[in-house]
Formats: sequence, structure tokens, C-alpha cells
Amino acid sequence: METVLAITSIMFFPAGISLILGGMLYEWADRKLVARFQNRIGPRWFQPLADTIKLISKEEIQPLGVNRALFFGLPVVALAGALTAALYVPIFGLQPAHSFPGDLIVTLYLLSLLTMCTGLAGWNSDSRFSIVGATRTLTQLFAYEAPFLLALLGPAMAADSWQISKIVAYTETHWMIVLQPVGFVIALIGLMGKLELPPFDAPEAETEIVAGALTEYSGRGLALFHIGKSVEMVVGVTLVTAFYLGGLGNPLIFLAKTLGLLLVMAFLQSVLVRLRIDQTVGMWWRAGAILALLQILALIVLK
Amino acid sequence: MIATPNLINKVVSGITTWARVNSPWIIHFNSGSCNGCDIEILATLTPYYDIERFGIKLKGSPRHADVLICTGPVTRQARSRLLRIYEQMPEPKFVVAVGSCGISGGTFAGCYNIVGHIDEVLPVDAYIPGCPPRPEAIIDGVVKLLTHLKNGTRPEPIKPQLGEQA
Repeated sequence: METVLAITSIMFFPAGISLILGGMLYEWADRKLVARFQNRIGPRWFQPLADTIKLISKEEIQPLGVNRALFFGLPVVALAGALTAALYVPIFGLQPAHSFPGDLIVTLYLLSLLTMCTGLAGWNSDSRFSIVGATRTLTQLFAYEAPFLLALLGPAMAADSWQISKIVAYTETHWMIVLQPVGFVIALIGLMGKLELPPFDAPEAETEIVAGALTEYSGRGLALFHIGKSVEMVVGVTLVTAFYLGGLGNPLIFLAKTLGLLLVMAFLQSVLVRLRIDQTVGMWWRAGAILALLQILALIVLK
Repeated sequence: MIATPNLINKVVSGITTWARVNSPWIIHFNSGSCNGCDIEILATLTPYYDIERFGIKLKGSPRHADVLICTGPVTRQARSRLLRIYEQMPEPKFVVAVGSCGISGGTFAGCYNIVGHIDEVLPVDAYIPGCPPRPEAIIDGVVKLLTHLKNGTRPEPIKPQLGEQA
């Protein structure tokens, strides 16, 4: 029975197929919102699904001079990392499927796996554009990762636990967005950096470096990276909502909250322009990290 | 009842065709045109015409694209680059020639530096005439290509002549 449950939780719910479909819906919502902000009609609701099926059915080209195992393995590892992270997060406002003390750190590292894989894929692709993209991806990772981690540590310290389910139980009665507004802003912007949305889309800047680290990927590999990114979007939005916007509560209300967060993110995407990579790093270390550290300090002193 | 492989094939090809028709990602290449058609293509991509409604997206990398949108006659210098970009695209791929020059060489026909029109170099699937064609005409041409795809009647491509250096 236990095994069946474990397999179900990995393959179908909450991770696996339902999460992939959920990720596509979130991606569509994001694209549609950006389109509405730009006064367009925007894509139809099945657009991410059609994109994915088309990519999977396309030819997959292996460029000359790449390591074959890495080239085909990295997209799988990236998607697996994002899907595994979902097991410890209250997806769709339901209790996490698995939980143990310290799973917050595991989740954050699993979420970084996608970025690492993208960087490695770019380096492995043996093309100048993908190498520049990979360098930027990894540079940016070092910029936002620490402030994002510190911003999510705020609620964890307030709740006196590093276990997501306990933190979420604590935030249900304490709205962290009111108690730690600085942390919320840093977590939200850090999430946008993690997802490489504008203004942090320098790693895949179309106008400069074609498509960044994934320039040489076609077909299935590209589709897996795309799915991984939308899954990461669901997991990240869920994490920030559960930590800062009043815990889980009713799944429907939780979904409305995540959509509200997505609306804010789409708004920021439409109004902000791309930062240069040095501006991104400078902003995170000069402002983001120091503010997050100050908040942690305040928490320690006031506690 | 056991589904026959034939039926499975039919369903799978139906789904992939549906996906392909609803998500054509394009890449744009200028092989020697006067930029008139390129400006019209960029105008087509603006929010005013909003072709993301049809799932059309402009991609920077030929590895990601399905449809190669070419403008202009093929100059001697652009020929090898055009071929290289075409060969970098994964199958199945389609080519749309935009503008009079792409179709016949237009005003550049017979110039000393011109190889010829686009279908002397690549198999073209759809032609969009005009000098330059309006954005509506470009959208119409792409939709016609997609209709052909949907019905499974890919327009008969003209065979490329890759061997000879013109």
C-alpha cells in the first residue's frame, strides 16, 4: 500500500502529470496576463500544451562536439529536480506529500538544480551563444540565490522550524507579508530571478545571445527544460504564497492567492526592462542581500 | 477491445498535427532584401496584430523554430548562410518566402551579385507576394500554410539544387 501511494505521489499527484499540467496552466496564465498588460489578446488556453507536444514530436539534433550522455541526460535531471521539489511543497494548497525536518533547504537546492542543469547544458553545447548564456545563468544564480534563501529563512526563523509543513501551520495565523514586508519583496523578486523572467532575462536575451544556454537544444530536450521551468514556477509561487500570504487555508482561496501573486509578477514583467548582468549582480548584493540580512538581524534581536 | 496499431498511429499523428498547426515558431532571415519586407514582418509581430493568438512566436535560434520566413533574393554571400540556417532547423520544417524578390528576384533579378529567388536554394512551402506585403497578407500566408498542414496536403515543394555553385 505504502509503495502504491509513493508511486502515485511521484507519477500522478501531487508531483508528476498533474503538476506538469498545472505548470502549463500557470505558464498560460502568465503569458495571458502579460499579453493583457500589453493590450493584446494573448495565447489560447491550450498553448503551452500544444507547444510541448510539438516540441516532443520534433527531431532532436545533437550538435557536434558535445558529450552525448550529458546532452540528453541534463534535461531529464532538470525536470526530475523540479518535480521532486514539489513533493515537499504544499502544491495547490494541499498538505505536502512528504515532510521531514529541514526539508526547506532540500527544496531550495532542488529548485536550483534546474538552473545548474541549464548552465551545464549551455557549457556542454559547445556554441558561443550558449556558453555566454551559461555564464550569465550561473552568475545570476550566485546573485539571487543567497538573498532568496535568506528571505525564505525569515518565516522559518519566526516559526522556529525548518520544516515546511510546520512553517506553513505557523504562517496560517501570522501574515508574514505584514510582519516581514522586506522579506516578501525579496522573495518575490528572487523568484522572478529564479524563473529568469524580465528584468532578469539577460541569460536568455533574444536580442543579444539568440536563446542563451538552450540555443542548441531542439525537440525533446527543449520541451523538458520548458516543462521544468513551468513546474518550478508553480513550486516557487506556491512556496512564496504559503510562507508570506497567510498559509494554506482553503485550497480555492490559496489558488486565488497564487494567481494574485502571478498577476503582480506579470505586472512587474511588463513594466520593467532587462538589466545588464552586472546591474543584476550589483542590485542583488548591494541592496537585496543587505536588506535580507538586516531583516534576519532584526528577527534575531527582537525575538 | 484492443486498439490496433493503425488506430494508435492515426490518433498520435492527429495529435501531433494539431500541436504543429497550433504552435508554429518562426525564425526570420533576410537573405538580401531591401528591408521593406523585414519591417512589415516586424510590424506583424507587434501587439497591434498579436500573432501570439495563433501560437506564433518569434525565436532567435534556428534549433527552436519550425517555420523559416525568408525575405529578399538570395545574394551570393547570403546563400551559404541561408542554407546553413535551414539545415540547423530540426525536422519537420517549412519555408515561407515573403515579398516579390523572394518569389522571382523582383527588382534585383539578373543582378551580378544574385544567385536567384529563394526556391532556387531552398524548398519553399508558401509564397507571400507583395512589395512589401502588408502584415495582414503575411498572416494570411502563414495561415494558408497551416491549413495545408492541417489537411495533410503539404504544398509540393520545389527541389533544392544544392550541388552547383551559381
